[in-house]
Amino acid sequence: MKRSLLLFATSFIAWQTQAQNTCATAVAVSINSYYISAINGTDVPTPTCSTGGSNASAGEWYSYTATFDTVIRVTTDLPQNGGVDTRVQIYTGTCADRVCYAGDDDSGTGYTSQVDFYVTSGTTYYIAFDDNWTSAGFTFKVMYAPPPPPPPGGFVAQYVPVTSYANCIVDMNGDGLDDAVSVDDTQININYQNADGTLTNTLYSTTYADNAPYWSMCAGDLDGNGYNDLVYAGGGLTFMMANDNGTGYTEVSQPEYIFCQRSNLVDINNDGLLDAFSCHDVAPNVYYINNGDGTWTWHQGGLGDTPDGGNYGSIWVDYDNDGLSDMFIAKCRGAGSSASVDQLWHNNGDGTFTDVAPTMDLADFQQSWSSAWGDFDNDGDMDVMIGASSFTGGGHKLMRNDGTTFTNVTPGSGYDLFNGTSIEFVAQDFNNDGYIDVLGGGALMLNNGDMTFTQTLIPANNGPIGDMNNDGFLDIQNGNTLWMNEGNDNNWINVLPVGVTSNRNAIGARIEVTSALGTQIRDIRSGDGFRYMSTLTAHFGLGTDDAVSEVTIKWPDGLVEHILDPAINTTIKPVQGQSSTGVAELPAATFSVFPSPAVDKLHLRSTMDLSESNVTITDLSGKSVLRPALLNNAVDVSTLSPGLYLVKVQGTAANFTSKFAKQ
Amino acid sequence: MSGKKIAVFLLIAIVAVFAACRKDAPENPIDVPSPVPGSPVVFNLDSVPYATLSHYNFFAGNIAAQLPVTGVLPYEPITPLFTDYAHKFRFVWMPAGTKAVYESDSTVLDFPDGAVLIKTFYYDNVQPAGDRRLIETRLLYKKAGYWKFADYVWNADMTEAVLDLNGSFTQLTWTDALGVPHDENYRIPSEVECYTCHKYYDQPIPIGPKPQNLNSMMAYADGPMNQLAKWEAAGYLQSGYPANIETVAKWDDPNETLERRVRSYLDMNCSHCHATGRHCDYRPMRFAWSETTDPVNLGICVPPEDPIDAGQTYIVAAGNASRSMMYYRISSTAEAVRMPLMGRTVRHEEAISLIGEWINALPDTCQ
Repeated sequence: MKRSLLLFATSFIAWQTQAQNTCATAVAVSINSYYISAINGTDVPTPTCSTGGSNASAGEWYSYTATFDTVIRVTTDLPQNGGVDTRVQIYTGTCADRVCYAGDDDSGTGYTSQVDFYVTSGTTYYIAFDDNWTSAGFTFKVMYAPPPPPPPGGFVAQYVPVTSYANCIVDMNGDGLDDAVSVDDTQININYQNADGTLTNTLYSTTYADNAPYWSMCAGDLDGNGYNDLVYAGGGLTFMMANDNGTGYTEVSQPEYIFCQRSNLVDINNDGLLDAFSCHDVAPNVYYINNGDGTWTWHQGGLGDTPDGGNYGSIWVDYDNDGLSDMFIAKCRGAGSSASVDQLWHNNGDGTFTDVAPTMDLADFQQSWSSAWGDFDNDGDMDVMIGASSFTGGGHKLMRNDGTTFTNVTPGSGYDLFNGTSIEFVAQDFNNDGYIDVLGGGALMLNNGDMTFTQTLIPANNGPIGDMNNDGFLDIQNGNTLWMNEGNDNNWINVLPVGVTSNRNAIGARIEVTSALGTQIRDIRSGDGFRYMSTLTAHFGLGTDDAVSEVTIKWPDGLVEHILDPAINTTIKPVQGQSSTGVAELPAATFSVFPSPAVDKLHLRSTMDLSESNVTITDLSGKSVLRPALLNNAVDVSTLSPGLYLVKVQGTAANFTSKFAKQ
Repeated sequence: MSGKKIAVFLLIAIVAVFAACRKDAPENPIDVPSPVPGSPVVFNLDSVPYATLSHYNFFAGNIAAQLPVTGVLPYEPITPLFTDYAHKFRFVWMPAGTKAVYESDSTVLDFPDGAVLIKTFYYDNVQPAGDRRLIETRLLYKKAGYWKFADYVWNADMTEAVLDLNGSFTQLTWTDALGVPHDENYRIPSEVECYTCHKYYDQPIPIGPKPQNLNSMMAYADGPMNQLAKWEAAGYLQSGYPANIETVAKWDDPNETLERRVRSYLDMNCSHCHATGRHCDYRPMRFAWSETTDPVNLGICVPPEDPIDAGQTYIVAAGNASRSMMYYRISSTAEAVRMPLMGRTVRHEEAISLIGEWINALPDTCQ
């Protein structure tokens, strides 16, 4: 009798152990406690919906079918478990096609797990524990989450197939919808967003990239063919150039070694072509000027020349509202090192830059790898939150742009009490309330609208940011998980400007949106935060405002256009010079030339359209020596003898004269 | 290698050295040979770095054999830096009448101007022939008080190495003692890569030649001797340095404690960045041998400032290697995750085992 009982018990345990080894044979659970002797099931719980990486090789499976709508808690944070290390994934869908719904690694005491999730009556949820850390057994409990339940909204995980470097969200095929781009040494994996919010995964083979984007990645249309190209920043720069229908990529790798950090695409010399910039960790920064013919000219110097580098987070931003992209560098090397002093490079408009950080009170020893720039108080100029990567040289610094200087407004802002550190800090409006928030340091800091911030814990870490279902709320990608922002009732408008004489992406453009809550500004940037590439679409939350009176676009080449009463809760795509609802405004006329001394080409820069102008070059006495053709706002001066000259431009709207030197 | 074999090898080396001394003359009449009696090294601070390694005359006969001429003294740190299982020859040379001065057990000797540190990286059992392949010979030399880099890349037939500070890759396959082949995409550093690790604030420095790393016996041509004593006897180290030197453990010595082996490994492989004034000064770890007696400097129960993944709760999660950022990073080969960042592209399995064993044996004091 005893023996048969034991036999029965043994076979029952064996059956039970076997039964929960796969999703297909998951044991149905209810509100109760369950014991797992060891995690040894053959069905590995993938995809991973929690943090902690993907080292699992076994799983144990349970299912819970809701009989009414509520919030369920699954926890291993139980006294009898001692110090057990558990991890749990929650799926919906079918066993063959599992969809991440929730997951948790360490929310309980120590390394125990605890996860709360909404359940809908009639839906089955798979609860899978894995052996990512240990296969040791434990007890888990399924219970109703105690009140109050977590607020609705927030971020929900959605699986997305990726390859190694899932570091980019940008529109790759020119349809105005953000796509999720991941790459490795030989592949580009694009999840194209469809109009209905679904994704289509497409894999392109490439040649073996000389540089993988292990330090950073940025994107933009380098050759203006309508399809964005990718920049991989590793031990140098590799460009992956999209072909003319976006169905293949050709590698162009630059030969110079660079200890890359943040990379950016920006039109440094304002010739309408995107150039590529990279922070150098251990030497002066470098950039490649786009010659427009598929060739690139290497430059080192003039944009952050600290001999031993310390350059981590470059960000191109027009801090003084003069229409030119300036550059701030978040720097790091150690509290006693001059290489860690942040720099702000003012764009002089003639191809030169001047570090004005000391006079703007931004030359700080704080150890930072990135900075979040945005007009946090909507007063018309860009403020900055310089996030600490380490508190060795000081804490986070929230600096308010006061025109002639930046004022430290950290005390009382919420950042004085925030002790998370990070190499990533990015400014975006995640809750569409019309005030720019900051993601970084393991938290989303929600802007209260008065330059104070409230710390909010979200499941997502920093990653590429974009709108992956075109619902007007910004989503965040962490590897193979898209954290979809569930949004709220706030209104929004997206602006995706298309440059014609400016670079096609309008990188460097200033976008202004005016609604009842005020005027918000954004700069179009390629390369934000430290590592990732985020959407090139300017995203504006509008709060409860139900109309936008005006959108202003200040193009990088100086043209200013206005769009009156645009539709909201949609993406508008104004093409430079063709705004059907817009009126063009001629800004104050400016004129400058660069470089001086010039060797071959002299570039002309003006807020006026120079394309119909006549150009004459004279000596200093006014005697004409050359009448060059004007092409792309530049003239060929290679035939001139060395010396000083005047360039005279006679245009339809204005005449200009400027002196320059020929080398 | 048995003692007898070493003796035979060294005898050959000595013969080769003398043979070389007899026949070799300076190649360039502008360069005055060192006046050290019997040292034929050619090293003129005004004209270095030379275009080729052979120009220096550091080695006798076939330079690929790396047989040092008189005055070029081999040395070996007790625990070496791991560089993708590459082997190394290391030598020091100084101008006649100059010597290094002891500063402290844990700091690099104060070298005189003209001092040269020579380090050749090579692999044995390289496929297809199974022979030795020399990759690069790095020089660090001191000029007017400042250290300078030079790097010589060996040609395929190993007859010469040519100055190149631009950085490059060399592909090869070598087989280990068990005959297992390993593909290696070996990185020869560019000048700024050298500088990344070899610096104190913004000045280049050597890393290895500290008394703590050299206070050990080494087999020389004329018999085994303590390296510091040998340097002193050769006129390369000023007398009067302390008799008792706080010396590192040999990282793979099973007779040493786990902790001392790990601390020594971290000192040689990690402390050139994780120290004051170094590349990663701002992170809380301090991995120098002289600083790791403090568990906080080792990162024990210290949360990481750059959480790559929430799973790694501490730099060293005592008792739990898989939750430790140190273990995670030394186990990784991803370029932006792995530690060290430079000089390693493959996993150092033996070190991962050692550090994992050490962490798992620590009493769990973090929770």
